[in-house]
Amino acid sequence: MIQADLSIVLPEIVLALYAMVALLAAVYTGKDKLASTLVWVTGGLMVALAVWIATGGNGSQEAFGGMFVDDGFSRFAKVVILVAAAAVMIMGQDYMSRRGMLPFEYPILIALSAVGMMVMVSAGDLMALYMGLELQSLALYVVASLRRDSVKSTEAGLKYFVLGALSSGLLLYGASLVYGFAGTTKFAGIIQVAEHGHMSLGMLFGLVFLISGMAFKVSAVPFHMWTPDVYEGSPTPVTAFFATAPKVAAMGLFARVLHDAFGGAIVDWQQVIVVLSVLSMFLGAVAAIGQRDIKRLMAFSSIAHMGYALIGLAAGTEAGVSAMLVYLAIYVTMNVGTFSFILMLEKDGKPVTDIDALNQFASREPGKALAVLVLMFSLAGVPPMLGFFAKLGVWQAGVDAGLMGLVIASAVASVIGAFYYLRIVFYMYFGASEGEVEAKGSPVLTLGLMASAALMLIGVVYQFGIDGAAAAAAATLVN
Amino acid sequence: MSLFLIAALPFLGAVFPALLIRAGRNASASAAGLTTFLAFAGLLLHAPAVFSGEVITARFDWLPGLGLNANFFLDGLGFLFATLILGIGLLIILYARFYLSREDPMGQFYTYLLLFQGAMVGIVLSDNILLLLIFWELTSLSSFLLIGYWKHLPEGRQGARMALTITGSGGLAMIGGMLILGHIAGSYDLSVILQNKDLIQASPLYLPALILILIGCFTKSAQFPFHFWLPHAMAAPTPVSAYLHSATMVKAGLFLMARMWPVLAGTPEWFYIVATTGLVTMALGAVIALFKDDLKGLLAFSTVSHLGLITMLLGFGTKLAAVIAVFHIINHATFKAALFMSAGIVDHEAHTRDIKRLGGLRHLMPVTFTIALVAALSMAGIPPFNGFLSKEMMLEETVHTVWAGSHYFVPGLALIAALFSAAYSFRFIVHVFFGPKRDDYPGHPHDPGAGLWLAPAALITLVILIGLFSAKLAGPLVAVAAGAVIGGGELPYYSLKLWHGFTPALYMSIVAVAGGALLLAAHGPVMRAWNAAPRPEAKVIFDAVMEALARLAKGITDGLHNGAITRYGAIMVAFTLALGWYAYESGTTGPATRALQAIEPIPALGWLSLVLATLMIVARHRNRLLALILVGVVGLVVSMSFNYLSAPDLALTQLSVEVVTIVLMLLALNFMPKETPVETPALTRLRDGAIAVVAGIGSGGLIYALMMRDFAAPPISEFHLANSYKGGGGTNVVNVILVDFRGFDTFGEIIVLGIAAMVIYALTEAVLGSRVRAYLLNRKPDLPQAGDAHPMMMVVATRVMMPLALMIAAYIFFRGHNLPGGGFIAGLIAAIAVIMQYMASGFSWTSERQRFYYHGIIGSGVLIAAATGIGAWFNDLPFLTSAFGYLHWPPLNEFEWATAALFDLGVFLAVVGAVLLALESLSRFAWQPGISSEHAMDINPARDDEPKKENEV
Repeated sequence: MIQADLSIVLPEIVLALYAMVALLAAVYTGKDKLASTLVWVTGGLMVALAVWIATGGNGSQEAFGGMFVDDGFSRFAKVVILVAAAAVMIMGQDYMSRRGMLPFEYPILIALSAVGMMVMVSAGDLMALYMGLELQSLALYVVASLRRDSVKSTEAGLKYFVLGALSSGLLLYGASLVYGFAGTTKFAGIIQVAEHGHMSLGMLFGLVFLISGMAFKVSAVPFHMWTPDVYEGSPTPVTAFFATAPKVAAMGLFARVLHDAFGGAIVDWQQVIVVLSVLSMFLGAVAAIGQRDIKRLMAFSSIAHMGYALIGLAAGTEAGVSAMLVYLAIYVTMNVGTFSFILMLEKDGKPVTDIDALNQFASREPGKALAVLVLMFSLAGVPPMLGFFAKLGVWQAGVDAGLMGLVIASAVASVIGAFYYLRIVFYMYFGASEGEVEAKGSPVLTLGLMASAALMLIGVVYQFGIDGAAAAAAATLVN
Repeated sequence: MSLFLIAALPFLGAVFPALLIRAGRNASASAAGLTTFLAFAGLLLHAPAVFSGEVITARFDWLPGLGLNANFFLDGLGFLFATLILGIGLLIILYARFYLSREDPMGQFYTYLLLFQGAMVGIVLSDNILLLLIFWELTSLSSFLLIGYWKHLPEGRQGARMALTITGSGGLAMIGGMLILGHIAGSYDLSVILQNKDLIQASPLYLPALILILIGCFTKSAQFPFHFWLPHAMAAPTPVSAYLHSATMVKAGLFLMARMWPVLAGTPEWFYIVATTGLVTMALGAVIALFKDDLKGLLAFSTVSHLGLITMLLGFGTKLAAVIAVFHIINHATFKAALFMSAGIVDHEAHTRDIKRLGGLRHLMPVTFTIALVAALSMAGIPPFNGFLSKEMMLEETVHTVWAGSHYFVPGLALIAALFSAAYSFRFIVHVFFGPKRDDYPGHPHDPGAGLWLAPAALITLVILIGLFSAKLAGPLVAVAAGAVIGGGELPYYSLKLWHGFTPALYMSIVAVAGGALLLAAHGPVMRAWNAAPRPEAKVIFDAVMEALARLAKGITDGLHNGAITRYGAIMVAFTLALGWYAYESGTTGPATRALQAIEPIPALGWLSLVLATLMIVARHRNRLLALILVGVVGLVVSMSFNYLSAPDLALTQLSVEVVTIVLMLLALNFMPKETPVETPALTRLRDGAIAVVAGIGSGGLIYALMMRDFAAPPISEFHLANSYKGGGGTNVVNVILVDFRGFDTFGEIIVLGIAAMVIYALTEAVLGSRVRAYLLNRKPDLPQAGDAHPMMMVVATRVMMPLALMIAAYIFFRGHNLPGGGFIAGLIAAIAVIMQYMASGFSWTSERQRFYYHGIIGSGVLIAAATGIGAWFNDLPFLTSAFGYLHWPPLNEFEWATAALFDLGVFLAVVGAVLLALESLSRFAWQPGISSEHAMDINPARDDEPKKENEV
């Protein structure tokens, strides 16, 4: 009985135990001297777990009486989360250790937050949901303010924490309302009560509060306010992490709650998601135009991208969830590449994040500039880069679900958004004065940049079966 | 040759020029030329089939999940365009080889050019609108690279950026339209869409789809009001202008309109949007072109005008107009590319394109002159050249077109356009080639080598031949292409010949040519008038729009993200309120199922004081001590209301927690200024106040509404009430829940509590080990401290109260299982007993008397609790199963024992340890050398030396 349960959550247990053991071991031995090693070991373990999850599981299984669900959807999300977290962590290792800001806790915190994320996407119960969410968030609060001597970093961490606490409170309030009116915290039980037209007021309030709590985690407008500050204030590797794995986890959780628990009341939440999506796309696109700091720009970019991914969710269909998953996977890949590039940028050994510094970058580093060009076009959703297929997928799902206005608004937003991605390309190729930024960085970063850019092109022809996997994953969620 | 191969060849070939550039410029150009030639030859092999009316297809499922298939088909329209693209492409490659100078990176140029060519071929052969979109955006990208090719020219960069912004954005908007179209038709394959005219035109989504698709077409084909990017793109090398901006890319929009003609055309919406836009563009472009002094600028606006002409024809929606449109596409491509190339030759040789600095070139450059002359006359619509044919047919068609009831609007504007068109065509010849020879040319104009003039010569040969033998030469191509445009069915009657008799169109032509000549004669004064007249400059508007957008973006960003967490919070709360309102609006509220209980005076009084205290906090929170006292009042009333609502355990807990937290906060006040500074303006406070009030009323109302109704599931309390004595051996349900039903939770909680205390301890250690310690030690309080740090009265009182308090703690602990109380509350009370000593007698005095470290106390608490739980294992029961029994102890009576009490002891110890460890840690911040003393009740004689309040820094 318990063995069966434990074997289902074994990947999570392994990672959690590893984190604790590593913490103790590092405290009593080399401490920060071990940090670089720990990064690689943790990264390796996470990739190994990803492989295990990807190849191991089949079918849907439930543990602890339905609190924890292991199905195609969760496995898909977990693989993306683990690989993204590992990649981003390893990418940042050189950057952080060269600047003496790589504490040994960093990989451990990342591992713990990964455990939280895995629980989030596997949650079959409001309590498991909350537990995963908080485990993830607490680790993120800490890594956001990792650079303790920087005012910006600590301020970012504090803001994130305070607003995060507010949103957690909202979410918890919503969860308790749902529990009060469904009489259960299990999604499987809630879905039997939560039927459109038969939802009581308390249930509806619970639903919207849950949504606003989760919207904070995906940084959907207007719950996004922490994002630019945190992205800018955190050390760049942490920003990269923020922009990847947690987004997947939060969107995964969002989809799980809305479909597993409120799948019978799509009409009741669809409008809310549509509003969040439109606001996110437009604010992300418009606000990014004024940004001169590439990290802040990426913050708004991530807000806009979450808006696009939300279209898939708003569709409320299997195709929508599938498109959303594909979108997230592609989004993460693009961000890994882009942040590899940002991590490389430096001048006289100091990191540079001003986009003016990119002027005429192409004449100094044609190869890297070309890769960035591909990534930027892909982020903008310009065909034939892979980013276009991501958008196309969610748009089709939206159109098929009858959300014509949303899709058109989204196309307009993507036009506005294209402006600032293309501006980076423009600076790199045709910038007026010679910028002085160098793109050094470790081979890992170059690999990250080149591989991700190459995927944007290869993906046009061959998608590594990701759409099939996403479709299967979506099928397990929506039924 | 397979269509796949034709479409793929330019892409494959794009690799070679860049690679072969080391082998020389000729090798690079030949590679590009050979690839293009192969594709062209492959295309021509299909010619017989196409002319016999066959449609050649090649299908391949690419991403079937998205409806994106790599399907190609070749019909008459596609054949026409592919011929233009590849044929003119060949000529351009030849021309560019001699046009580009030695310093230009030619390999790169040909690579970009072939990429562009491939994308164009892809557009015209696509049988899938999503595939078409991909190629569409590819042309925007590759043209961006081509326009910005001369990186050293700032106009080039500007033009490239503008072109990409406009055409790329249009393409993205078009995606929306295509998606809708595919949704209506149920397929993204053109061959399916083209069969569903009625379905599409009946759909309510027809108009949005039409507008979005047209935005894409108009931006690409430089139609008003998006026409301005084209002239600015002229900074590109002339081969690029000739290829992209006259023959191919700008025709992509026309191609798509022609392609979609069978399903989209024929409605009033189509007519008024497309025909009007085309008409306006045609007239506007023609007028502006006359006043451009830059040769390429003139040609650019004339291109805009001619594109408008074709758009207008397509917009008419009649079959005949479609045929004429196809014919003019052919004619325009031939003469305009030739004109661009000859302009390029002039630029190349005379080193200027400024018409005012040119003139008299006819003797210096006879070959170029001949080419330019023929092409320009064709553009002006002079027989016997091909431009005359299609222009006259166009004029004829306008005469039959009624626009919003007016018979004169369309022909009138068309006549004006034709007139100006003749004028600028003449100007191109007269002001550049005629007139006296000058001696101040920047270069030494002379005819170039054959390499440069061969390509335009080939084109004007076509111009003449089509003009003379139109029916034979162009007839079949026009027929098959027009047949594809109108989507099957009979072609209307038309005849391609020079002489149609004395028709209205002929008179119009004569008027246009004569008027054009007159206009040119009066060019000087007209030009001055034009320059004096105020007119909107598109580039200025574009820049202003961009600027405004950037300002808007900045405004939004600054407005939303000013870094103040209060604003962030306000927005979040306000939106959540809106969500709540939405939920309230969309939900169903049944009538209340419970009655409101009677309101008794004393509880009402309590409630009133709660409200008053809360309001007071809000009003007076700047005085921190006062705020803290008021917080204490709130806590007290809340505890009392717990008691009133039959939750004595909760009340006790709340009360003791309240004491501990107030003490904690008092400690913290020590490090803070006594008053909070005013940081927000009154208006902000008003806004926040309003949001807070609404949020408060909202959540209050929500709770009220919920409390007045039954919950969905029966409350769980019934179960606990029924089982607490039977199963847990206690009558105090709360305590039984804590130590028995939910013992595992409690076990976890005490561990968390311990960890929290440890973290506070660790943080204190870390902080005190850093630079902060020096600051803390040297800090001066902003108010003088009381000299009597430890008042005797208080010391005496607390020492007496200590055993009393501990006694109460023990009492509460033991009664806990059956009556309100328990380990948790007892722990807090015991902790308060010790805290009192810290407060009254001082930190040093108290810690000297401390026997056990708090860490140890916490640890022992957790261990005892764990051991209790493990004990159950020895009886083959799960962890933490409790047991109880009764003991008869004669002097006392019956006495209950329960393992739960042991567990509760663990809770007690953990709570005591945790609270005290936290407090001890925090109070260490306050420690300063001056304030410690051996004796608890001493008086600091140095108090008068304390400085007065320091001046603000």
